[in-house]
Amino acid sequence: MAPPQPFAIRGTNFNMVVLQLRDGAPDVVVPALERLIKQSPAFLRDSPVVLGLDDLVANGSQPDFAGLAEGLRSLRLIPVGTTGGTGSLRQAAAAVGLAQLTKGQQLFKTKGQTAAAEPVEPTPAPSPEVIAEPAASVDSIETKAESAPVEAEPALLITAPVRAGNRIYAQGRDIICTATVNAGAELIADGHVHVYGALRGRAIAGASGFEEARIFALNFDPELVAIAGFYRVRDDLESNLIGQRLQVSLNGEEMQFTPLV
Amino acid sequence: MSEVIVVTSGKGGVGKTTTSAAFATGLAMRGHKTVVVDFDVGLRNLDLIMGCERRVVFDIINVIQGEAKLAQALIKDKRVENLSILPASQTRDKDALTQEGVEKILDQLRKTHDYIVCDSPAGIERGAQLALYFADQAIVVTNPEVSSVRDSDRILGVLASRSQRSEQGRTPVKEQLLLTRYDAARVERGEMLKVDDVQEILAIPLLGIIPESQSVLQASNQGVPVILEHDSSAGRAYADAVGRFLGEDIPHRYAEPEKKGLFSRLFRGAA
Repeated sequence: MAPPQPFAIRGTNFNMVVLQLRDGAPDVVVPALERLIKQSPAFLRDSPVVLGLDDLVANGSQPDFAGLAEGLRSLRLIPVGTTGGTGSLRQAAAAVGLAQLTKGQQLFKTKGQTAAAEPVEPTPAPSPEVIAEPAASVDSIETKAESAPVEAEPALLITAPVRAGNRIYAQGRDIICTATVNAGAELIADGHVHVYGALRGRAIAGASGFEEARIFALNFDPELVAIAGFYRVRDDLESNLIGQRLQVSLNGEEMQFTPLV
Repeated sequence: MSEVIVVTSGKGGVGKTTTSAAFATGLAMRGHKTVVVDFDVGLRNLDLIMGCERRVVFDIINVIQGEAKLAQALIKDKRVENLSILPASQTRDKDALTQEGVEKILDQLRKTHDYIVCDSPAGIERGAQLALYFADQAIVVTNPEVSSVRDSDRILGVLASRSQRSEQGRTPVKEQLLLTRYDAARVERGEMLKVDDVQEILAIPLLGIIPESQSVLQASNQGVPVILEHDSSAGRAYADAVGRFLGEDIPHRYAEPEKKGLFSRLFRGAA
């Protein structure tokens, strides 16, 4: 009998920060990044960081990957790879141990991305040379440090009945429906889902993996509820929950149903 | 000002064609120049229910493809003045309907008619979408059962998103509910959905309740729009609904089971 494999191979997705470089010189980038991190020391500490190369192609600068990697490590960041750019740039990066990462197709964007993907008030950008953004976003984005004031994005408000076959996605925000969500309809939000009419269709909160997301319903009668990938279909719901005013939350991998008072 | 009314439901067999025939006839009887157009290309039925199947020469596809003039394809109703029928083609399929062709025909009909009643095919595909695309008003025909309500809900979603009015950002299509084949006794026994249940889900104004009635089948087999059967409860309910459609304030009948008189109670076993 062969001994069992000492490991298992699984595929999974990670959210990573991309440092979209506008300059390839370590003596420009690293001090600017240091200034940013000083404002909020916990920001990005010990985080894996991906270097975004697209803007370097545009302005033709030749980055010093070895110097950049060393500078980032000195700031307690962990450079793990590159994304975008040309073949020769990626090869130069691979030579110093930076893996080449391909952006996967994204189903749901994360909160920060959407907030920044739309024109927002220019927040005081502490470092013009450095742009941090979560991985897999296509556009480059202004920096949003944790301490920086973030403009709140209002929830998506739906006032007409959501009918069978309708599917509404609130990207990077909450969804509030003041009318009925009928059977065969679907409400999806990266944030919370609030339904003030009867919830008879599907409600999906935390669609991008936000596990704190909740579903609120004044008349709970859904086909399916899901939070951050965990779901219950109607058949798996206790019958005493149906028709109640309640909220659904996630406790670890358990779905919790709590009455609204 | 002429209005395009689509009679639609999503689900088949709920009474769209019966309703189209009855409504168009009712509007014409009240003096409005009305035409009823069969959009169910390939499965034409409207001509049978209107009793003009033996007078069909050209159809809507012939007009779209330029093989006949609109005036040649329109059939004048023999019973009611102001009423004509534009039949569908039996031999072609729905792909022969084009948006440009439909628009051209409706524009021509608008010049000469007050109301254009479009009898939609079942489903939510091309034929049904073209039938509702140019609508100003929609009569959503629903039976008091869950699958029909679900499909009506779906078609209301299509009306709200894929009609010309919604695409151009104009006032939305006016939607009204017509509950057909309503059997108050079965509703009372809990075998069918109540009016209130259906309205709660669909959330649109109620135009009328048409009671389940033997006379509907008899009338359509004879090619008579049921609204002309004055002795039939369904016929009277359609007449009420047409009145409400034209803005009259008529209370809803037939939501409650018929009170059995002494006579029918005595002879219940024999009936």
